[in-house]
Amino acid sequence: MAIPGYHGRVLEINLTTGNIKVEALDAQDVLLYLGGRGLATKLFYDRIEPSADPLGPDNVIVIASSPLVGSQAPTAARGHMVYKSPLTGYIGTSNSGGTWGHTFKATGYDALIIRGRASHPVFIDLSPEKIEILDASHLWGKNVPESTDSLTAGSTPGNLYRALVIGPAGENLVKYAVVANDKNRVYGRGGPGAVFGSKNLKGIRVRGREKITIADEARYRSGVDQAIYLLKQAPITKRLMRELGTAGLILLINVINMLPHRNFLDVNHDEEKLERISGEAIARGYLEKAGSCYLCPIGCQRHTAVKTADGRVRRGEGPEYETTVLMGPVCDVYDLYYIIQANYLANELGLDTVTFGGTVACAMELFEKGYLTPEQTDGLEIKFGRGDLLEKLVDLAAYRRPGLGSLLAEGSYRLAAACGHPELAMQVKKLEIPGYDPRASYAQALGYMTSPTGACHLRGGYAVSLAFFGGTKEIPRFSLLQSPIAIRNMQNTGILQDSLGVCRFTGFSFAIEPWARIVSGITGYDFSTAHLEEIANRIAALERLFNLEAGLKPEEEDVLPSRFSEIPIMSEGKPRAISRENMIQMRRDYYRARGWNDDGRPGESYLREMKIEPKKA
Amino acid sequence: MAPYKWQASEDIFRLFHSIGHASLLYDIQDSHSGNMAMRWKNAQGEEMIVITATGSQKGDLEPNHLCYLSPGETDFGYYKASSETDIHVNILSLPGAQASMHAHVKELIMATLDDQPAPKTPLPFVPVDPLAFYHLGPEIPVDWFAVPSGSPEMAKTIPARLADHPLTIIYGHGAMTRGRTLKETFFNLCLANNAGYIVRLIERQIRSTRAKRQALKTPEKQEKNLVPEAPLPVGQSPELEELRSKIKAAPESHFHFRPTPYNTDIENRCDFPEEDEILKEFRKTGNRLFESRLSPFHTGSMSVRGVDYLLYAPQASMPYEVGGPLLKLPLAPNPGDDTELLLHKKIYAESDFQALIHAYVPEAEAHAHFIYPGEETPIEKIIPVDAEGSFMYLVIPVLPPKFDEARLVSLLHDYRVVVVRGGGVWAAGGLSLSEALHHPSSVREICLYRLAALERGLDLRKMEPEKAKKW
Ligand code: SF4
Repeated sequence: MAIPGYHGRVLEINLTTGNIKVEALDAQDVLLYLGGRGLATKLFYDRIEPSADPLGPDNVIVIASSPLVGSQAPTAARGHMVYKSPLTGYIGTSNSGGTWGHTFKATGYDALIIRGRASHPVFIDLSPEKIEILDASHLWGKNVPESTDSLTAGSTPGNLYRALVIGPAGENLVKYAVVANDKNRVYGRGGPGAVFGSKNLKGIRVRGREKITIADEARYRSGVDQAIYLLKQAPITKRLMRELGTAGLILLINVINMLPHRNFLDVNHDEEKLERISGEAIARGYLEKAGSCYLCPIGCQRHTAVKTADGRVRRGEGPEYETTVLMGPVCDVYDLYYIIQANYLANELGLDTVTFGGTVACAMELFEKGYLTPEQTDGLEIKFGRGDLLEKLVDLAAYRRPGLGSLLAEGSYRLAAACGHPELAMQVKKLEIPGYDPRASYAQALGYMTSPTGACHLRGGYAVSLAFFGGTKEIPRFSLLQSPIAIRNMQNTGILQDSLGVCRFTGFSFAIEPWARIVSGITGYDFSTAHLEEIANRIAALERLFNLEAGLKPEEEDVLPSRFSEIPIMSEGKPRAISRENMIQMRRDYYRARGWNDDGRPGESYLREMKIEPKKA
Repeated sequence: MAPYKWQASEDIFRLFHSIGHASLLYDIQDSHSGNMAMRWKNAQGEEMIVITATGSQKGDLEPNHLCYLSPGETDFGYYKASSETDIHVNILSLPGAQASMHAHVKELIMATLDDQPAPKTPLPFVPVDPLAFYHLGPEIPVDWFAVPSGSPEMAKTIPARLADHPLTIIYGHGAMTRGRTLKETFFNLCLANNAGYIVRLIERQIRSTRAKRQALKTPEKQEKNLVPEAPLPVGQSPELEELRSKIKAAPESHFHFRPTPYNTDIENRCDFPEEDEILKEFRKTGNRLFESRLSPFHTGSMSVRGVDYLLYAPQASMPYEVGGPLLKLPLAPNPGDDTELLLHKKIYAESDFQALIHAYVPEAEAHAHFIYPGEETPIEKIIPVDAEGSFMYLVIPVLPPKFDEARLVSLLHDYRVVVVRGGGVWAAGGLSLSEALHHPSSVREICLYRLAALERGLDLRKMEPEKAKKW
């Protein structure tokens, strides 16, 4: 019998052979890896060859649900996807809200494994009654909303279809293509859309009403009550997110000199201009209504509309903080008119707006410095501040249009390397740095350096949230001593949130204790916070192990670009840069805090202690 | 008369000023009460006694409120420098006594009041908390004086008491203490006041439930619906006296551990001056522990863990102006580590916590002794009855004085804060000291609301959320 909270079934589909098999979920995997990110990582690691071509048939996609999904725990409706990233060559691990993750769980499976490559475009149709691989030729070339509408047509009240799809960017193997659900909620970073595209997989449609059982209702309920109460207590989850969305952070992040500008050359903004792209400005001028992912009391979604120059009204979701900052100030653009429309198009075509913005900013610097020539840009004057070009550049990248489009489609690192100046790409492990300047928080810097997916604030540890909004959790921003443990703990909190199927933003209100109660109540097993910490450490070690087996060189790749050592920013009245020595010291201490060797590798005895069996000796 | 003159020393003034101010913050003085004195050698190497001027405001001392006397000549101009100068001078002549202090430790005064006719022969005060019990002794003398301020009788009796005890109580007036430093005398007085507060809280919770307990013990009375016996007068609570005698008979089994003797050698040590942000956190947290009465002056401990070391404040409760030692120590246990430090290290060895605080929250210490009417043993968990407390914690575990340390670590993981009966409050922060600090601070409030409910005759069992009882 399945452990309460789980259905006890794993579905594996081979798109090459069309073979479909259902296996029992290994209880040991649940106890050691929990669900979501942890479970997906374990199932992925057990099946993938580390050297597999990310865009070849041997790449493996694992989507896993969590024991909380299917309960009434706040925000517990998320899904998690693990794959080998075509952008980084290392593990891709991505989480999304919306409604798909919840419905996937209701099909009666805990995880879905996809391997192989279909001979023609297909989609997977999944419900408790049937599992089918269906032809998607009619959808190929269609954008995200069109594909979603097509796949969800035929929903019946109370038994809705939900679709997970890629857009043209995924089909064209753009290295930062996303997989979207609810049209705008995405498994975003590291190019999962390209992995789908490489498998000729247009999407996955789900429908179901399978329920989970709960072992100890009182314990579960006490945790849920506590979580909801705490979310309603903290101003950021109670009010700020709903009123202003994530872009509500823009002015606040600027206050701590952490808002990047011009491809991270500085953090200096004209405040009047900045106000024009703030969450407040979005709320005033573009917001139609706020929205929520399933079961979320926070409600950070922005449903917006913009009137175009030719009088049309375009509607969509966002922009989020990251999109606004990366397509905005990082490109020296302070005009929501352009940012919003480029964001809509990126969502429609299925592009990660963070990597896109970072890549465009890099292109702008390359162009201004003469390393990217007008011949390469088809005559486009791609300079800082050219907000009017953003939408066109989205199109060029998403369709891999010959010339500039195919360069942009590769992400900033490959673009800059092709121009002979890889140092101008603001990335770690080839993943673009999001909208928080690492010089303004050592913990955030270390998070980018050590994140398994490259420079990602969500996988690397969301230090900024604590540095500024953490309330009782506030940590020093410039402490070499405190950052390694702090970032490890923040990463672990993130790993657990991803493995429990809950939103990162709950972390503004509380860490893990209520979740420990909830998951223990649901499963009937004692998932104490100590036990959860151990699980997080295990998952981090397994992700690291995969990356090392896939060729990661910690010495060279667990670092920030030289810009962050060479060009200081001013913060709290002092020039702030992160010297190479400081990076090395923090990184070594981080490895030690993780229990890994000083070279960044988990040693044999540690792996044994973690009950991890490596592929290679 | 000797030619005395002001010999203001900036350091001495700052010390007196900060201790004076802290004593007002801790509410052990009124605006003009108390006095402080210490031995001091001036620039010429002459032995002096520095003493606060009579009637000066200890919370706002000015340089001219300090009098510099020679040990043999205590008159200062036309006045005694302090009305209690002679007492201080006699105390300072005791071996090892470098400083002395008198304060109106109100909680202790209240805890030792009695209604015997004068002349009184008060019983010594027996503390029930580990800090006062071990630092001040199992019996703190209480003396009644016909003239309880600056009298020759006091000048004789008090130094004699202080030859054998670090602190002595002047019935209805306050306490006098001696120390190796002025900070140590302040430490003693804070512990004394805290001890009185804890005893009074325990007494209040006993008295609040006494009628119910009596009723539950005598079923015949319950049947006849008789009014229970009248409450006993203060100081004569048999339950409290029983607790005191048990503690006196076997202190080791009633307290978690014997606190390390007050260390005056590391007063100004700071091992990580370059870490300005962390220093600020330590100082802010230390000040909050002190000002919010979460732990008496220079008690408790706090730490932030590095990868192979910890930053450690062994005298955690420290007002900004006074400060305390801040050490950088290896994370691995050392033979010279005291019990408290070892426990920090042990908790870190078995957890991912970033910060720990150990504080002697008096309300928690007192409430940990609470026994529900009809039950025989003290509580094992504190269930908040206030809105914020119950959502933040649902329950707060209470460990007995002796426990398996692995149990403490496991409870800290699940609850982040644990009360130890006879051992203070342990709190963990996943990321920062500030996060850890929130716990003792909340525990204090939670206990205050429960104590207030008891005093108002409310039934705690009815107020406690059902789900918390099961958790
Ligand atoms: S906070 Fe925003 S992203 Fe998170 S679950 Fe709620 S609506 Fe979705």
